[in-house]
Amino acid sequence: MDSGHSSEPEPDVFAPHKLLIAGGFAVGKTTMVAAISEVRPLLTEAPMTAASVGHDDLQDVPAKTTTTVALDYGRITLSPQTVLYLFGVPGQERFWFMWDELAYGALGAVVLADVRRLDDCFPSVNYFETRKLPFLVALNCFEGAPRYEPDEVRDALDLDPGVPVVLCDARERGSVKHVLITLAEHIAARAADDPAGAGPAAAPATAMTRL
Amino acid sequence: MIAVPPGQSWRRRESGPVVRPYAVTGGRTEPADGQVLDLIAVVVATSKGVGASGESPRRSPEHRKIIEMAHQPTTVADIASGTRLPVGVVRVLLADLIMLGAIKVVRQRPAREMPSDDLLREILNGLRAL
Repeated sequence: MDSGHSSEPEPDVFAPHKLLIAGGFAVGKTTMVAAISEVRPLLTEAPMTAASVGHDDLQDVPAKTTTTVALDYGRITLSPQTVLYLFGVPGQERFWFMWDELAYGALGAVVLADVRRLDDCFPSVNYFETRKLPFLVALNCFEGAPRYEPDEVRDALDLDPGVPVVLCDARERGSVKHVLITLAEHIAARAADDPAGAGPAAAPATAMTRL
Repeated sequence: MIAVPPGQSWRRRESGPVVRPYAVTGGRTEPADGQVLDLIAVVVATSKGVGASGESPRRSPEHRKIIEMAHQPTTVADIASGTRLPVGVVRVLLADLIMLGAIKVVRQRPAREMPSDDLLREILNGLRAL
């Protein structure tokens, strides 16, 4: 039954595009999505892993191998045809199974970082570098956190010189808008520099996983 | 036995649905047509889907809710969010409706190719105008 799965886009069809908001636990991903769009909850299923032990008691249900997890996403309608979908990508290792799917076809990503816990964003940075997905690092300026110059953070994360590092306040719409504009400019610059390699992530690096 | 205070539900909203997710698919966890729709794949109800809704015994309330949401083109993520069903369950139900000809996929996946200059310009201008 292939008729229902026409992959040819119809002209003028509603065309959603993915952007990812990644980063460590409690770094402000949902806050960032909420600052610029209405946040919607999305239920997905995660395989039970050793990380769930202690959180999910399996004693009475030995056959259970998945657990329901909630992701957040938001939509920004730019025109009736063009809508950006912002997906929050959970940074903890036990959610890595869903990264390939979330990243598939994404235009780019924001890696949200907290300078007090900078190493929490290493996995996200490594992932997007490996996938050649355009990304930037946004430093969420928590009150009371020490301030660093973006270049100091760039050195600490060993980022390529072209990767933008910006300061932001994930609660402020204007600040989040600036982050997304900077990301869009970076995506456009990457596309112009390297027409072959800078597109949306192609086939996943590992086997396709399902949410 | 734990007493439920008057006016309060014994079930907290955060605890999620009482029915296990795959009960609404009859226990099936794989889409019947073997296709895995992307989160932002776009689907729309066909005239057949809109016309016969409500009557067919092969359609559950969840099937009907999906058709209702897909009167306008919509994404898998929006259907999952709107029905409060897990994405995996929505994929199984959508595959049923696609095989019945009630739903069609108008855009399977985001473009693999380079985003066009026009698209990037539109996104940039759109963000600046927010």
